[in-house]
Amino acid sequence: MNSKQPTQLIVGIAIAFAVPWILLVLVPYIQHSNLEPIPYEEDVEGGYQEYPERAFYRVGSSDYGREIYAAEGCAYCHTQMIRPTYAGPDMWRPGWGGRDQETARETRPRDYVLEDVALLGYQRIGQDLSNVGHRITTPELMHKHLSDPKSIDPNSGMPAYLHLYRESPYEEGKLIPTSRAEALVDYLLSLKKDQPLPARKS
Amino acid sequence: MRAGPSRADIANELMTVPEPTTEDLQERAEIDRSTRYPIMFFFTSAAAWLLVTTILGFLSSLKLRLPGLWDECAFVTYGRLFPMHLNSLVYGWAMQAGMGVLLWMIARLSRNRLRHPVAIIVMGHVWNAGLTIAILAIWFGYGTSIPLLDFPVWIWPILMISYILIVAGVIPMFRARGNPRVYISEKFIIGAVLWFPWIFATAALLIHKGTAPTVGAGIGAWYISNLIYFWMAPLALAIAYYIVPKIAGRPIYSYSLATASFWVLVVLAGWSGFSRYMGGPLPAWMTAVSSTAAILILLAIFATVVNLFLTLRGCSKLWEYSPSLRFTVFGMLLLLVYAVLNAATSTYQFGGDLQFTHFLAGKDILAFYGFFSMTVFGAIYFIVPRVTGAEWPSGARIRTHFWFSTYGIITIIVTMLVGGIAQGGNLAEWDQAFSVSFVNSSAYVVGRTVAWALIIYSNGVFLVQLAQMYLGKGRKSEGPTLIHAEPGAAPSARAAAGLS
Repeated sequence: MNSKQPTQLIVGIAIAFAVPWILLVLVPYIQHSNLEPIPYEEDVEGGYQEYPERAFYRVGSSDYGREIYAAEGCAYCHTQMIRPTYAGPDMWRPGWGGRDQETARETRPRDYVLEDVALLGYQRIGQDLSNVGHRITTPELMHKHLSDPKSIDPNSGMPAYLHLYRESPYEEGKLIPTSRAEALVDYLLSLKKDQPLPARKS
Repeated sequence: MRAGPSRADIANELMTVPEPTTEDLQERAEIDRSTRYPIMFFFTSAAAWLLVTTILGFLSSLKLRLPGLWDECAFVTYGRLFPMHLNSLVYGWAMQAGMGVLLWMIARLSRNRLRHPVAIIVMGHVWNAGLTIAILAIWFGYGTSIPLLDFPVWIWPILMISYILIVAGVIPMFRARGNPRVYISEKFIIGAVLWFPWIFATAALLIHKGTAPTVGAGIGAWYISNLIYFWMAPLALAIAYYIVPKIAGRPIYSYSLATASFWVLVVLAGWSGFSRYMGGPLPAWMTAVSSTAAILILLAIFATVVNLFLTLRGCSKLWEYSPSLRFTVFGMLLLLVYAVLNAATSTYQFGGDLQFTHFLAGKDILAFYGFFSMTVFGAIYFIVPRVTGAEWPSGARIRTHFWFSTYGIITIIVTMLVGGIAQGGNLAEWDQAFSVSFVNSSAYVVGRTVAWALIIYSNGVFLVQLAQMYLGKGRKSEGPTLIHAEPGAAPSARAAAGLS
C-alpha cells in the first residue's frame, strides 16, 4: 500500500468540494454583497430617488421589531418571498404581491436591503408577509391581529401572542402592548416589498 | 512503478473475508475497550437528547393543531418549540450519536486504539453545554429564525471547536492505520469529519456577516442540504457498508461500485440545497444547478442501495434475527425514499406547489429522524455490546423499539407528505381564502402528533436499555441478543438463520 493514499484521498475530497464552495457560495455571495441602489430616471409615485430607498422599508422601531420577529420564530410559519408566476400563483393572491394587482411583482434581492439575512421562511402555515404592510395598514389593526387573531378570521391558525401584551390596570379586559409588541407592529407595518422598479434594470 | 499492491490486488483482497485469528480477536477487544467510555458517553447523552427532541416534536405538533392552547405563555409557542425540536434533533441526537459511531468505526477499521479518551469526554461535555445554552436561548426568546442556526451568534464557535477537538484524532489514526487497506467506510468517515467544520463555518460566517441577505438565506438552505448529504448520508453509508457485510458474512458485492458512488456523492452534494428557495430572490441559475445536483445524486444512492441488496442476496432471513441489520437496511430504504423525494421536489413540476408545505418539512424529518437515525440505531445495537462486553438485556424490547419507531416514522412521513399535498393544493387556489389550507391540513397534524407519541414510547424503551448497558447491567453471555431467538441460543445471527 502506498503511503500517499490518505493524502490523495483528503486532497481529492477537498478539491471536489472546493469547486461548488467557490462557484455556488462565495462568488454569488460577494456579487450580491452591498448592492448599489439604482437611481430612477423617471418620476415615480412617492417621490423616491432610488431603488431601494431606505425610507420606504423602515417604520419607527422596525429594526428592533425584526429581532422580535426572529426570536418568536415567526419565520417558521410565515414566508417573505413572492415567487414569479412560472413558479407559483403567489402574485395572484389578493394583497400578496403588492398594494394592488397593478404593482404586484415578485420579490427581488434589493427588497431586503435592511436585513442581515432575508427571513424567506420555512413553511407557509400562515400567510406570506412580504407585503403585509399594505394589507393591514394601521397599528391598531395589527395589534388586534397579534393579540386576538380569531376575531379577524375565526379559522385562523395563529396563536394569540398574549405574552407581548399586559392587562390594563385601569380597564378590565383591555390589553396594553409592551415595547416588544410595538416594535413588532412597526416591523410588520414596514413590510412592503413592492417599491417600483427603475426602468433601467439592475 | 508504484510501490505496494495495485488497486486490483487490493480489490481482490477485499473480496475475501479471512477468519479472525486469536490475536485479531484480542486486538479488537483491546480497541473496543479503549473506546468504551467516550463512545458510551456520546450514545447515552445522544439518547437523552433524543427523548427531549421527540417530546418537543410532540408538543410542537400539538400546538400546531391547537394554537390557542396555553397562549398566555411565551414558552409553549410553536415558533419557539419547533426550532428547539429541530436543533436538538440535529445537534443533540444525530450529531452526537454520529460522532460516537465514527470514533468507534475509525478505531476498529484503522486498528488503532482511541487516544485521549478523557479529552474527548471533556469536549463532549463542552458540546453538550454549548447546545444546552443554545436550546435555552431559543426558548427564552433569543432565537434568530435561521433554520439550524437558530441560536445566538456566539454559540456556533463553541460547537465548532468542540467538534474539531472531538474528531481531531481521526485523521492521525487513519494515517497510522495498522492495516494496509482503505475500506470504503473509512473514506466516508474521513469525508464526514472534514466536511462538517467547513460547511458549518461557511454558513455561520457568511450568514451572520449579513452583507448579502438573500444569498445568505440561500446559504442557510445549502447548509441544511449539505448537512444531510455531506455528514448524515456519508456516515449512514459508512455504517451500512460496515454492518451489512459483517452480518451477512461476505464481502460487498461490488467494491468498485461502492467507490464510484462515493465519488459521485463527493462531486455533486456541494451543489445541492438552493432549490429549497426556487422562485425566490436568488439568481435562477443557482436553484437550477441545485435541482440538477439533487437529481444526479440519485445515481449514487441507487448504486449504493442496489450494491447493499446484492450483498444480502440469499440472506433475507437475517432480517428476522439481527437488530443491527434490520435497522440499517430500513435506514437505507428511507435514504432511497428521501433521495427520490428530494430530487422530485427540486423541480418546478413537482415541487412548485409543494414548496413551503408540510411536504418539505416532512422531507427534512425523513432525513434527520428517518434514514440517519435508523441507520445509527443499527450501529448502536452493533457497537454497544462490543465496547461494554455484555449483551442487550432483551430482544423483545429491541423489537418494540423497532416497530414503534417504524410505525411512528412512517406515520409522520405519510401524514406530512399527504397533508403537504393537500395544503399545497389549497395554497395554489389563489382565489380561495387562505385559512382553508390551514383547516384542511390540520387533520394530518393530528396524525403527526400521535406518531410522535409512539416515537416517545419507543425511544423511552431504547433509553432504558442503553442505560442498563451503560451501568454494566447487560446480559453476560456468549451469544448475542437476537430478535426472534432465545437470548444467547445462537453464536450469531447467521447461525440463528441457518446460514452457516
